[in-house]
Amino acid sequence: MRREISIYVHIPFCEKKCAYCAFNSFCADEETKNEYINLLCNEISCRSADFNSSLNKAVVRTIYIGGGTPSILNEEQISKVINTIYNSFDVYDNAEFTIEANPNSITEEKLKCWKSLRVNRLSVGVQSLNDKSLAKIGRLHTKKDALEKIKLARKFFDNVSADLIVGLENESGKDLCQYAKDLLALGVKHISCYLLEVYENTPIFSMIERGKYSPLNDEQTISAFHKLATYLQDKNMQRYEISNFAFDGYESQHNLNYWKRGEYLGFGISAHSFVDGIRLENAGNIEDYKSKKITTEKLLSLEEDEEKIMLGLRCRLGFDISSLNKIDIKKNPYFTQYVKDGILIISDSNQNLVRLNPLFYHLSNTIISNLFQ
Amino acid sequence: MKDLSHIRNFCIIAHIDHGKSTLADRLIEMTGTVSKRDMQDQILDSMELEREKGITIKLAPTRLVYEYKGEEYTLNLIDTPGHVDFTYEVSRSLVACEGAILLVDASQGVEAQTLANTFLALDNNLDIIPVINKIDLPSARVEDVKAEIEDVIGLDAHDCPCVSAKEGINIDQVLKAIIEKIPAPKGDDSKPLKCLIFDSHYDNFKGAVCLIRVIDGQVKKGDHILMMQTGKTFEVTEVGIFVPTTKEIPLLSAGDVGYVVASIKTIADVKVGDTMTSAENPVKEALPGYKEVQPVVFCGIFTVDGAKYNELKDSLEKLKLNDASLQFSPENSTALGFGFRCGFLGLLHLEIIIERLEREFDLDIITTAPSVSYNVYKTNGEMLEISNPSNLPPQVEIDRIEEPIVRTSILTPPEYVGAIMELCQDKRGIFKDMQYLDKKRVELSYILPLGEIIYDFFDSLKSRTKGYASFDYEFEGFQRAELVKVDLLLNGEKCDALSLIVHKDKAYTRGRELTERLKKIIPRQLFEVPIQACIGNKVIARETISAMRKDVLAKCYGGDITRKRKLLEKQKEGKKRMRKIGSVEIPSEAFMSILKLDEDK
Repeated sequence: MRREISIYVHIPFCEKKCAYCAFNSFCADEETKNEYINLLCNEISCRSADFNSSLNKAVVRTIYIGGGTPSILNEEQISKVINTIYNSFDVYDNAEFTIEANPNSITEEKLKCWKSLRVNRLSVGVQSLNDKSLAKIGRLHTKKDALEKIKLARKFFDNVSADLIVGLENESGKDLCQYAKDLLALGVKHISCYLLEVYENTPIFSMIERGKYSPLNDEQTISAFHKLATYLQDKNMQRYEISNFAFDGYESQHNLNYWKRGEYLGFGISAHSFVDGIRLENAGNIEDYKSKKITTEKLLSLEEDEEKIMLGLRCRLGFDISSLNKIDIKKNPYFTQYVKDGILIISDSNQNLVRLNPLFYHLSNTIISNLFQ
Repeated sequence: MKDLSHIRNFCIIAHIDHGKSTLADRLIEMTGTVSKRDMQDQILDSMELEREKGITIKLAPTRLVYEYKGEEYTLNLIDTPGHVDFTYEVSRSLVACEGAILLVDASQGVEAQTLANTFLALDNNLDIIPVINKIDLPSARVEDVKAEIEDVIGLDAHDCPCVSAKEGINIDQVLKAIIEKIPAPKGDDSKPLKCLIFDSHYDNFKGAVCLIRVIDGQVKKGDHILMMQTGKTFEVTEVGIFVPTTKEIPLLSAGDVGYVVASIKTIADVKVGDTMTSAENPVKEALPGYKEVQPVVFCGIFTVDGAKYNELKDSLEKLKLNDASLQFSPENSTALGFGFRCGFLGLLHLEIIIERLEREFDLDIITTAPSVSYNVYKTNGEMLEISNPSNLPPQVEIDRIEEPIVRTSILTPPEYVGAIMELCQDKRGIFKDMQYLDKKRVELSYILPLGEIIYDFFDSLKSRTKGYASFDYEFEGFQRAELVKVDLLLNGEKCDALSLIVHKDKAYTRGRELTERLKKIIPRQLFEVPIQACIGNKVIARETISAMRKDVLAKCYGGDITRKRKLLEKQKEGKKRMRKIGSVEIPSEAFMSILKLDEDK
């Protein structure tokens, strides 16, 4: 079998930074963007050499262009990036190819361009369908924008995903279900539901400190999430991962590859790669990125086991006990306790396959860390 | 025959914090025993902990040489601990002396241990020189304190030295008084060897070191000695004195204070209070010796990391080498695993041992709530000594339980008498006596259960009297009491390490306080966790810890798996101080929480 890999490309630019964002993204002028794209393309072609030798020829199964906001790149810029990928790697014809987009930067021209470049999946950052709420968290679109752009996108793409944030001020489970209903009515096939995470040094953090913003408390957040999850599952979507819901056949192959510990190459600043059992991280700022600084970490057997548990338990499938090399999980009293309490579920068909009871997804950190050695 | 008229053996006794160690420092400095360059505060307190807490734990001797009226005198000083837990150390050093300096703080005046120590000294026929210290303080009331000493203790204080040890004022008067008022030792160095072993410690190179006072005869390297109580003989390899570090000298003879090393491999062969004599020519009669000290406070000691049981064992054994009063035996707890039940002289002693285990041996310790030892009489006539509440037999097998009681003496300014009486009442005390020692000082005598004293008596006394009252106690005996065992159930499972024995009238209050406190200390778990306090099968208090709300990392930015893994690893690391009872995780602090119930009020 040929070696299969995934590709992630990071576009760090945004029109405006969102209040909750702690990620590596910033606003930039066209010159900066062009300069970055040159560096990026250079990185893609340079690093591809290792994957094109006759012995080790790899083929790309999924491509994901994320950010930041990749949709703010103009047609010329995005074409350059994508063509560099095609020129550097073998890509399956039916490879899943996702691009992240914000409603306000989606245009018919861009949609056409992406389609022509074999993009076949769109992940739209909707976050909320409440105008007041959107404005407060610094999003540039309105409910109307979001719904119109998704409708437009659907003309070109069957596979459209939307992101929602759970925990925003005054947004109850009922509101979220209504958003989901509106999105599903437009034919959205996949919904990612993320809990609002508040990090220090973000605008929303100081807004909360100053009493200007009050997100839902933990109890309300989990209850809202639960309502939304129930609604989506009632609509025949499958919760195939802790925060992702999809109709059958529309699961994000790219993200599943992360959870399954498949190999991937990440290009661009602060992008992560996982090849040959080594995790790599590109430098997080342009200067270091220019000088090709990369942090590498060869995983120890114990750490590999921890990853298998941690990633497996995020997914509906779970993890395979027999794949663990160092951790003797059956001797861990927590494991026994969790199985006894129904927190962990052993698969009926395979006694080695263990998954997390979805009722405890919201407590997964505690559970997973207790399974570490 | 050796001239003993130029030797003085004395100790300093005082209430804690009245300045013993500082006075000792000045005497050492004044006599040039230690050069200025090597001098440091509390020089006789060699333990780091002693210096830090400003207390003396072990007694420490030193030899001072002082010229007075053209003649040279050898003054052997033995520094003693001031805290009530270590009274036995004081009494040991008293036997080695002819006189004592009774140090009294010029603003605090006579306190409970001033009295207790004075009586100890009088019991040992010592000549007592009162010395008033801290006269430099603005709050000093020298004349009042002199009057107190005369009225309360009955010692003549009209011309006693009034000093400031801190500022070095009038220290020469103390030296003068020692020489003039304390009698020289009596003894005959031509008689067969007879020494009192008043302390011992273990040295990794030399073996057991015996601290001795030579009564008669002499001892030198090469001599064969006999320990009269153990019957063991040894060959002396070194004799010497403390200056205050050890200094080898050729010979120790009648009247001297010093040390003997004799290749003694185990400290158990050196019984403090034993008489050391010559193996070839032994004396017929041994010295009276000491009462063996009995621990009064017990608790379970465990390591946070259960795998360190053996390290804990080794560490306790090492501490025991220099602390004969420390007792321990293996114990197994379902909640805490393998550990030791340890006996201590008091709470301070307990606290010091725990701190030394943590500091000197780098162990993370969990202790269970301190308990006393109860005499439990079973219906079948058997009597058990129970210091671990979880070992208490079932109620039906118990005929009666007796608890240790102590006679306490509390000295206080009159305005706090009401508050103290209320406290003692609350602690099930029986009033014995009240005496006005003078206008400003009342002595209250109560019989109190020791179990109540170790619980929080000292802290309560301090807070109710703004620190003005002092107290001292001595063991009185055992007394029948209506005691019950309160068990703690977490999620329906009994946590043996949290069981306690309390008086039945207090069981409900304590049960309620304890469940409330545990609710605060135990973090939320995956499930709702009921906490119940029970007597037998009867639930007397209940609290519920609600389930954890949210603990999840939902997002995974661009495949950054490492960050996620590291966060979870850190979370795991933070759990190392947790103990698991069934499905409930308890932080190690919870086990000590029983002790601190009153803090929240």
